[in-house]
Amino acid sequence: MAATVVTRGDVSGLDNKDFEKLAVPLLDGLYNFACWLSGDPDEARDLVQETFLKSLRGFASFREGTNFRAWMFRILRNTFLTSRTGLERRNTRQEDEEGFEDSAVTQETPELALIRRADTELVQAAIAQLAPAFQEVILLADMEEMKYQEIADALDIPIGTVMSRLARARRQVRGHIVTVLGEKKIAGAKR
Amino acid sequence: MNCEWREKTGLYVDGELEPAAQQAFAGHLQACSDCSAAVLEQQELKKAVRLAGKRFSAPPELYANVRKQMRPRAGAGMWWKLGSVAAGLVIIAALGISWFSRSSGRNATIAQLVDQHVAMTATNNLDVVSGNQHTVKPWYQGKVPFTFNVPNLAADSPFKLIGGKLVYVEQKPGAELVYQAGLHKISVFIFQAGDHASRQPAWNHDSSFSVSSWTAGGRQCYLVTDASQDEAGQLVTLFQEANRS
Repeated sequence: MAATVVTRGDVSGLDNKDFEKLAVPLLDGLYNFACWLSGDPDEARDLVQETFLKSLRGFASFREGTNFRAWMFRILRNTFLTSRTGLERRNTRQEDEEGFEDSAVTQETPELALIRRADTELVQAAIAQLAPAFQEVILLADMEEMKYQEIADALDIPIGTVMSRLARARRQVRGHIVTVLGEKKIAGAKR
Repeated sequence: MNCEWREKTGLYVDGELEPAAQQAFAGHLQACSDCSAAVLEQQELKKAVRLAGKRFSAPPELYANVRKQMRPRAGAGMWWKLGSVAAGLVIIAALGISWFSRSSGRNATIAQLVDQHVAMTATNNLDVVSGNQHTVKPWYQGKVPFTFNVPNLAADSPFKLIGGKLVYVEQKPGAELVYQAGLHKISVFIFQAGDHASRQPAWNHDSSFSVSSWTAGGRQCYLVTDASQDEAGQLVTLFQEANRS
């Protein structure tokens, strides 16, 4: 989906209807992202509803030139981070990010065939094992197809951090796929 | 590999290079097999993450709740002024609009399913080709966010399972199971339902195809065919029995 940047012309006299027109198409993506963040569909539902409430209230102060989609994702993420699960995650999983080691598999060995063989379940498992900071970047980049700047706006991090996290997230996902399918291949050969 | 372009593959795949650099990189790919292999791999990975990442679909009631939040109800006082007759008219109009929007939403879904069925019969393009329900059912594992049973057909059954397809209708993944009944093909579509209510089969004949829709066990099912309703109805019953919880 292309970035929705609201310009000055759009801002004058924006009302609930305009908000609805801009925000409702984002609902499915926001819900999917909320499910990944919280790991719980009920919590994701509450997060999305709260996000819509907050953004509707804050719509009057929405500034021209701002990327609307990034703004909505940012509200969702901030809502999550201040929720009970979000706080727990920040306390318990931050270390994962700090002590995050890159996979031994480097980009120098193309394993195209293995990636093509990976089914949805395996790729989902690969995404799920990422530390949250890497997971959200790869989901926004590849699933929401956001540009780097849009991701930086949504997550409130510098664009350089987006790039480095994205590269590491991809190495991790790739490493997971190659390791799992590679092991299966070896096990198959031994049999 | 020491190609100076190598570190730009991620930027290229994400479309983050300046237009001129993007074009130059594309030119470089013609000559450098290492970079083109790396780009291909990253594109595949990106595609795999995109497909796998789209794992959860917002339930219809969430859309309804959010819409309700955005449209606060009008002040109660106004209704008193309108009087009972006017209020009655408004309610009738609202019911009409709600019925119309529900029914047009439903019709749009049915039109998409009929298109999907026609495209399948024209191309015979199936993702899994098998007459064995024990092959077809497991194929959907991990591809759709729900489970379902494929009926066990008797040897003299008029229906023959041909295979299945993964379909997306209104951005939701679903299963299309394809059966042969004489010269006719029948598609049975299964999606995740918005609730756990059970709705008996309802037939729609707006197009030249017979379409039946029913809901059971958290699954929304549709059958689309050019076979007769009587014949197709038997398959609906088989599916209902196989999926009785």
